[in-house]
Amino acid sequence: MAERMQLCNISENNFEQCTKCSICTTVCPVAAVTTDYPGPKQAGPDGERYRLKDPAYFDKALKMCLNCKRCEVACPSGVHIADIIQHARMDATLGKQRASLRDTLLANTDLLGTVANLVAPVANATLGLKPTKAVMHSVMAIDKHRTFPAYSRQKFTTWFKRHAAKEQDAFAHHVSYFHGCYVNYNFPKLGQDLVKLMNAVGYGVHLLDKEQCCGVALIANGLYKQAMRQGRTNIDSIRKSVTRDNRVVLTTSSSCTFNMRDEYPAMLGIDNADVRDSINLATRFIYKLVDEEKIKLIFKQDYKRRIAYHTACHIQRLGWQLYSIEMLRMIPGLDLVELEQNCCGISGTYGFKKENYELSQAIGATLFKDIADAKVEAVSTDCETCKWQIEMSTGLPVENPISILADALDVEATRQANNIK
Amino acid sequence: MATNDIYNKEYDVIIVGGGATGAGTARDCALRGLSVLLVERNDYSTGATGRNHGLMHSGARYAVTDGESASECISENMILRRIARHCVEETDGLFITLPEDDLQYQQTFVEACQRAGIRADVIDPEEARRIEPAVNPQLIGAVRVPDAAIDPFRLTVGNLLDARLHGAETLNYHEVESLIINQNRVEGVKLLNKLNGERIEVRSRVVVNAAGIWGQRIAQTAGVNISMFPARGALLIFGHRVNNMVINRCRKPANADILVPDDTVCVIGTTSDRIPIETVDDMRVTREEVDVLLKEGVKIAPSLATTRIIRAYAGVRPLVASDDDPSGRSISRGIVCLDHAKRDGLEGFITITGGKMMTYRLMGEIATNAVCAKLGNTAPCITANQPLPGSEEDGPNQGDLTKRYSFGQRAAIGRHGSLAARIEKDNDIDNALVCECEGVTVGEIKYAVHQLHVHNLVNLRRRTRVGMGTCQGKLCSCRAASLMGEFNHDVKRAQEDLAAFLDERWKGMRPVAWGDTLREAQLTASIYEGLCGLDTAVNLQGKEDVQ
Amino acid sequence: MRMDTVIMGGGLSALACGISLAKRGKRVTIVASGQSTMLFNGGSMELLGCIDGKPVEKPLEAIATLPQNHPYSKIGADRIAAISERVKLLFSDSGIEMTGSANANHWRITPMGVAKPAWLTLNDHLRIDDLNNLPAKHLALMCVRGFFDVPNAMLAQGLRELGFEVDMIEFTTDDITSLRRSPSEMRATSLAKRLVSNHALQRVADQLNSLAGEADMVLMPSVFGQNDSSDFQTLQNMTRKPLRLVATLPPSVAGMRMMTQLRHYFRMLGGTYLMGDTAVSGTFEGDKLTSVTTAKLGDMPLKADNFVLATGSFVSRGLRADYERIYEPVLGVDVVADNDRERWTSFGVLQPQAYFGYGVATDEQLRCLKNGKPIQNLRAIGSVLSGHDPVKMGDGTGVSLITAIAAADHIRENK
Repeated sequence: MAERMQLCNISENNFEQCTKCSICTTVCPVAAVTTDYPGPKQAGPDGERYRLKDPAYFDKALKMCLNCKRCEVACPSGVHIADIIQHARMDATLGKQRASLRDTLLANTDLLGTVANLVAPVANATLGLKPTKAVMHSVMAIDKHRTFPAYSRQKFTTWFKRHAAKEQDAFAHHVSYFHGCYVNYNFPKLGQDLVKLMNAVGYGVHLLDKEQCCGVALIANGLYKQAMRQGRTNIDSIRKSVTRDNRVVLTTSSSCTFNMRDEYPAMLGIDNADVRDSINLATRFIYKLVDEEKIKLIFKQDYKRRIAYHTACHIQRLGWQLYSIEMLRMIPGLDLVELEQNCCGISGTYGFKKENYELSQAIGATLFKDIADAKVEAVSTDCETCKWQIEMSTGLPVENPISILADALDVEATRQANNIK
Repeated sequence: MATNDIYNKEYDVIIVGGGATGAGTARDCALRGLSVLLVERNDYSTGATGRNHGLMHSGARYAVTDGESASECISENMILRRIARHCVEETDGLFITLPEDDLQYQQTFVEACQRAGIRADVIDPEEARRIEPAVNPQLIGAVRVPDAAIDPFRLTVGNLLDARLHGAETLNYHEVESLIINQNRVEGVKLLNKLNGERIEVRSRVVVNAAGIWGQRIAQTAGVNISMFPARGALLIFGHRVNNMVINRCRKPANADILVPDDTVCVIGTTSDRIPIETVDDMRVTREEVDVLLKEGVKIAPSLATTRIIRAYAGVRPLVASDDDPSGRSISRGIVCLDHAKRDGLEGFITITGGKMMTYRLMGEIATNAVCAKLGNTAPCITANQPLPGSEEDGPNQGDLTKRYSFGQRAAIGRHGSLAARIEKDNDIDNALVCECEGVTVGEIKYAVHQLHVHNLVNLRRRTRVGMGTCQGKLCSCRAASLMGEFNHDVKRAQEDLAAFLDERWKGMRPVAWGDTLREAQLTASIYEGLCGLDTAVNLQGKEDVQ
Repeated sequence: MRMDTVIMGGGLSALACGISLAKRGKRVTIVASGQSTMLFNGGSMELLGCIDGKPVEKPLEAIATLPQNHPYSKIGADRIAAISERVKLLFSDSGIEMTGSANANHWRITPMGVAKPAWLTLNDHLRIDDLNNLPAKHLALMCVRGFFDVPNAMLAQGLRELGFEVDMIEFTTDDITSLRRSPSEMRATSLAKRLVSNHALQRVADQLNSLAGEADMVLMPSVFGQNDSSDFQTLQNMTRKPLRLVATLPPSVAGMRMMTQLRHYFRMLGGTYLMGDTAVSGTFEGDKLTSVTTAKLGDMPLKADNFVLATGSFVSRGLRADYERIYEPVLGVDVVADNDRERWTSFGVLQPQAYFGYGVATDEQLRCLKNGKPIQNLRAIGSVLSGHDPVKMGDGTGVSLITAIAAADHIRENK
């Protein structure tokens, strides 16, 4: 024991490594626009010492935290500030209070999606109609300015099974795809783009045995138990893919990726150590193949676009924006503007809530101005909720880097370069 | 209180020493209707009172070796829970047996506790691990006792406040240079006002020497000899609470065998070394003491090996050799009350010493009884029943941390109990936080400065916890100094005070300056010296340490 | 992932070095574990401020008298003179407007009103070139109501001791009052976020114009412009009297602004800045470092021809001290430090502290040593270096900038 003494400082979420330098307070998007939120330092390491003394020191205002993790990225001491805040919220919530109907509805992107999908035109019409919006605004407190993302008529999984599944076994290499709720219910094209891209370089794409919503919204809305159940299901499926089928798991959503890699163990206590490294953002996986010269990508000669890249909060926390940016830079005709790293304000379901709408738009204002100044025709980001927010707030189309890569790709030339029949 | 008023007055009793014992005696005397002056050479609670564990003993620790002390402890323990509840946190304590200890001692221990009237429940090691997850999981036995945590600063201030409410006067930074003696009778004290250098004489019918280890010198000035045995104890403060119950070793008292959760931190201690009386003012903790505390501390709670230490400090226990054994071999931890008329033929002089912070009230009662006997006062002692200011039933209290209050207001209720109602909170500026770690607001600082005898930042820290968090005063010390300068209209003094405060913080950080504590120190130095140039503005060399 | 140069650490020295290399078309990646100590900067750069407790008037001349182990001594006064001019250019290219000279120090004014020797100071901050010829006679020191991160009375007192006539004038605006609703978040940087729009700045200017009285210069805490100096310019244009800023307690708006501008310029030059990632280990082959692994990039280490260690001192975790020793945690390169914990520090808080001088050991070309031998393609710059003391010598930012550019030169010369 004696020889191991005081060689390191281990405290939950490193909260003791805080030197009270206050740097985190300079990057918090919520504290920047409201005085009701005490800021990451007070809510995190400062408050934690008091909560350890007595949980009654929990402050309700902590619910305003977006969990964007910008404080953690800025912290020079490695303190997991947002995790401290989330844990405090979790301790205060679990077993004590049930989430409201609205929080449950928004958090269950899966549930909402399944129902809406069956009746997509109706759902789209209903969710867009004024009376419905008014009801949502008043009864369920979803802000009336919000347009729910349109639901696709055909789920991604349905499309995949009908049109793509059969061909996948023929490839030499294989990956699994965690498509997430957004691709499945709202925007199957992104999934189709991934299949197109991977197939072009010789990789077959497969679905997991069973996939459920990753739970990022459940955590944000305090539905921890459900998040744990779904998380365990997902990790079981991922484990089967990795160990039984020898297939790594790709994703196209930075939030799903971050959630399953880092929040599962940190917030939900789900042990994913054996498969964590096999959960990979598609751009990172493809970048690595290119970097190691295992594949080649050939892009269209006539592709010409000016696009701004927005670093979503969670990809910044992952530290992986590098790969998406480097991949986009590989496209010769793409004029890429890297935006300053500012939060868009939506933070998953946060900005959908009535009480958060104004705050959410205020938080995003700096980003929207930067986008306007950049004079681009589209914005690219790895996060689907940033997409909704930016599209609503700037009117510009927002595309995932994978979709841009797929659009710019000269499929035939790429297949030939990689010797795919 | 203007000095002139004090100069011209004759008191029933002057109490020398502003620790818990002096404060408790002053309160008791005042409640019995005596006119009282308390004088303290530094700030209140700067001696052993402010330099211990902050442990409210159940008495279990002394049960085997000193049954009398143990009984005193448990009886005072139950009293303090009633009268000083805003100073007490009811944590309970464990006495754990480790594989290296003799489990048979547990039996002896429990029986001794029962004899002393201390509840002592043997519990399963598994149960001990469940109720206190920080405990060394290798324990083989555990006993649960009614230990608790107590804040000595608040306790002392609470007693002083009540004494003042009942007519007593109190002066800090007034050092007794000698006693006024007239024909074998002590008739008052000669004081040095350390704030302005003035010398004054104040008269009284009785003088009580409650100066702890410094009482030997006070007695000496009257030609009376008391053999004190200064026993130095060092302690370490960790950055947060790793434990929520007091944890003791179930064996004969030894080095570093108690870990106490105190407010937002926890404290391991102590060492015990006999030191020469001349060195009692040197409170710097040595490397060897730190090593011993850590080596033993991790046996109680292994996580201490990887927990940040924010500072180290030391205090001196005022142990007394009994009169019939001047060699000092039989040293008692019990209460010693000496009537120097009987012992040394010197009238009007009483020494109250020995004992523990824990038994301060009883010591006050005993001393006051002796004073009253001399003055023919027959009023009964009521200190065991009357709550201290802050612990009354009405007004905000610790059990009332509702959401109505901001963090700073709630932290203040935790510190001041019902007195928190006196803190201004009606505007945004009064609610602004000065110390973010400990939740100290502008309003609380105003309250402390105006009502709790604060002359400098170190005083302010003892009254409010400003600068007691993990950063040890990073931004708050400058903010607080600035506010104090405003209140006192003396900027230069505020700047010097700030430097002295940082120096006092550094004194505790230096023995443990590695890891994050060294990082913290470097950042503080970069801000105050690099950015602000405080080292150019103020020269601390040759200045006495601020107390 | 292959780069020309990978820089570990993301503060002032890392950006200066990165910009210097990227400007010449090199592919540079900076790995920054969070924001840097520039957020404690007061709006000035210091080349050499103090020797043996005495202020230095002519830093370039004084450099010749420094001990051999000082980083400046490895570079030499002549080269430092040349580099110091390039530093000024680097700042102006980044949009940072500073004034000063390496030949003669001027004075910056600290939040406590102390005049400290400085090399370069932001143009919108109060700077005194000659203590016998002050830039103004009569100052209106505008104190923001409810803002506690400037000790206004100390500042005023210090300015008076320097010979200014000072009026302390408290003021507020709606924007300021509403920010104070937060018990904890009224910081310099939060004020800078609130005082952005023309309306908000006009409300401040109205107060300055109506309250400044007879003063011939208005002083404000540095709470304007976290991205560039345009907010200050707008306010100055609205204010009838000349306006200057004085540093606040951290987090520093000036520091944040300078870092944003440097980062922006670095990115414009094609550099990659990884915020929130940390270099954790390196792979060596013989006397070369071949790759660096980071916490976030995981199994894809950063490979490069050259590497720069710019991880800072203890506070930035570029150096570690534990119960037993002091070491460099990423690559385990040699450090200069005392083994005995007792000697790391001294008793008085304002006394010189030995640990400030600790850091990595290098050869004359700033190459790190490992087991006494130089690593050919690994250089150390900035606060991680041994042999200097930012607090007692006032050489912190200077060492960062000078060694950064000297290292960039060595890297290019080596090709």
